[in-house]
Amino acid sequence: MRSIAKLIRRFAAILALSTLLLFVVNLLLLLLVAWQQTSATGSSTGPWTLARETAAALQKTQNGYVLPDEAAAALQAENAWAIYIDNTTMTVVWHSENLPAEIPTAYTASDIAALTRGYLQDYPTATGESETGLLVVGFPKDRYWKHMYPLWDMELIRNAPYLLLAVLVINITLILLIYVVANSKLLRSVKPIADGIRALPSGKDVYVKEKGLLSDLAADINGTSELLRTQRQELRKTERARANWITGVSHDIRTPLSMVMGYAGQLEESDRLAPEDRKKAAVIRQQSVRIRNLVNDLNLASKLEYNMQPLHLEAISPVALARQCAADFVNADLEGDYPLEYTCDAQADAARINGDKDLLCRAVQNLLSNVQAHNPDGCRVFVRVAADESTCRIAVEDDGAGLSDEQLEALQNTPHYMMSDGGTTEPRHGLGLLIVRQIVLSHGGAVTFAHGKAGGGFCAEMTFPVCKRTGR
Amino acid sequence: MTQNSIRQKRLLLVDDEQALRDMVSSFLKEGGFGNIRAVGTVSEALKTVRDWQPELVILDVMLPDGDGFTLFEALRRFTDAPVLFLTARGEDADRLRGLGLGADDYMVKPFLPQELLLRVANILRRYYKETPEAVQLADSRIDFERAEVVKDGEHLPLTAKEFSILQALCRNAGRIVTIDGLCEAAWGDNPYGYENSLMAHIRRIREKIEKNPSKPVSLLTVKGLGYKLILKEKAR
Repeated sequence: MRSIAKLIRRFAAILALSTLLLFVVNLLLLLLVAWQQTSATGSSTGPWTLARETAAALQKTQNGYVLPDEAAAALQAENAWAIYIDNTTMTVVWHSENLPAEIPTAYTASDIAALTRGYLQDYPTATGESETGLLVVGFPKDRYWKHMYPLWDMELIRNAPYLLLAVLVINITLILLIYVVANSKLLRSVKPIADGIRALPSGKDVYVKEKGLLSDLAADINGTSELLRTQRQELRKTERARANWITGVSHDIRTPLSMVMGYAGQLEESDRLAPEDRKKAAVIRQQSVRIRNLVNDLNLASKLEYNMQPLHLEAISPVALARQCAADFVNADLEGDYPLEYTCDAQADAARINGDKDLLCRAVQNLLSNVQAHNPDGCRVFVRVAADESTCRIAVEDDGAGLSDEQLEALQNTPHYMMSDGGTTEPRHGLGLLIVRQIVLSHGGAVTFAHGKAGGGFCAEMTFPVCKRTGR
Repeated sequence: MTQNSIRQKRLLLVDDEQALRDMVSSFLKEGGFGNIRAVGTVSEALKTVRDWQPELVILDVMLPDGDGFTLFEALRRFTDAPVLFLTARGEDADRLRGLGLGADDYMVKPFLPQELLLRVANILRRYYKETPEAVQLADSRIDFERAEVVKDGEHLPLTAKEFSILQALCRNAGRIVTIDGLCEAAWGDNPYGYENSLMAHIRRIREKIEKNPSKPVSLLTVKGLGYKLILKEKAR
């Protein structure tokens, strides 16, 4: 909707500017025409000037009135005729030689008034006064058009500036009104189109009614939406197929792997085998456990990645969760190579996370087994749970080998090979931390990897939103 | 009930794959279970259950003439014997379905033989109520049958809470049981917020079982995590 308001503002500005431009251009045109008019008629002079000059030039002699050649030539140039009416006799006492026959020779006062204001026998006339009479110049019939009633109300002249302003305002309002009416239809058809375009990236299905001025555009948007929908569907189908494929493979591998693992485990315990053979059986058993874990990890990772892992959400105490994982870890660490220190702050005790218990346990377990995997000679392990008003943090830290800055950087910023479309020749790391990240993300949390607090070692911290706090 | 009586239980194994049946049977035999039958189909399973009345059934989900879940429901109509699902179907939905139907455990293939033996033994012990009747500690003896501690010839009765806590510790003897786990054992479903009460109970238990309660040797604290019960030897 913002862009439509912008559109209207821009149109209004263009409209105002063009109105102003029109006004200026018209004024200039008017001036130009007026100037041309003056220059066209003023090659000699105007009709009234000509009549006045002719009156002044007419000389009274003993033989009557005489017009000097110069003034006669001026009349000739205009193709005009002239008569001189005496004030006392009201008759024509002189006339030019080209006087048309229909011009009368005697006049009444009303005749004089009529010819001064308008025409004489349809000839446009102009008059010039002298002491004894009135000189009338008649021009060809098609030469001038006379404005016969040039009377204006004084009030109107006095209010002219306001009047002009009012007219201007009315004009602009009228133009705007015309614009709005004319464009509202357009705007009405633009709005659904704009809404449709804006809705496209949201991933929802978009349908714009294909009618009105912009029905073509609407059809295009509908086509695009349909295309996006099909593409999304295809993508989902591909992802599902991939996840299903991984599930299928990991399922089919379980029964044969049971045999390998089972018999290897049995041989490992068998008294009838030589100790070195039992060791070999142990290796087979250990490696088949590794395959099982990898297959399980792969399956879980692909399901988490494609949102196919259902979350069984409930309010979970992060303290109880971390404590159980830590206790399991200590219970399993029979040699005591990984002394574990568990701490939690008072606020964490009351905090609850809305989460899937098994998955969250899995995340903590992954972090703990990561410590073991990277520090085969043992190290100290710290499990910390802390909370504030809105978040709860579970951190697993060790003082073992740790990572170099480059490795840490790569861990933070390089996508896992499983999720990457780049080459797969890079050295690979396991799925453990990827699964941790996916589990945390699926709970709306965040995970950070850093060096241990003491400088060495590795620290992984998971942050979750707290859903509620409870007392007892 | 003794370990031996558990080993004498009749176990029925239902799996469509002959090789797997042979392997699991051999594990169970090596684990001391002598009374085992193995079948490959739903119809055989139903017949065997009716005729032989096994005391534990190990059930695969995918069978040639039906699925394990349906078979489980059919079995429940005429036997209460505990059931352990042993299957390649490891999806949450399957696991929840199996346990939701009332199965006693759900194991996903592949598995370690030791794990299977332990789980089978656990189910049998739980189902046929075998808890150790008495355990010997460094300075005392806990008699679960009479719910009392015998220390220096003196008989000290246990309260219900103390009994539950000691039972939970004893079931996991030598391993850490978390504070939350103990609270759950003593207070049930909503165990949060009982930590202080638990500490009080632990103190009283120590007074009963330890020679010097301020320097415990049998009931150890694992800082922040929970407690661990150290047995001297298992008294049968």
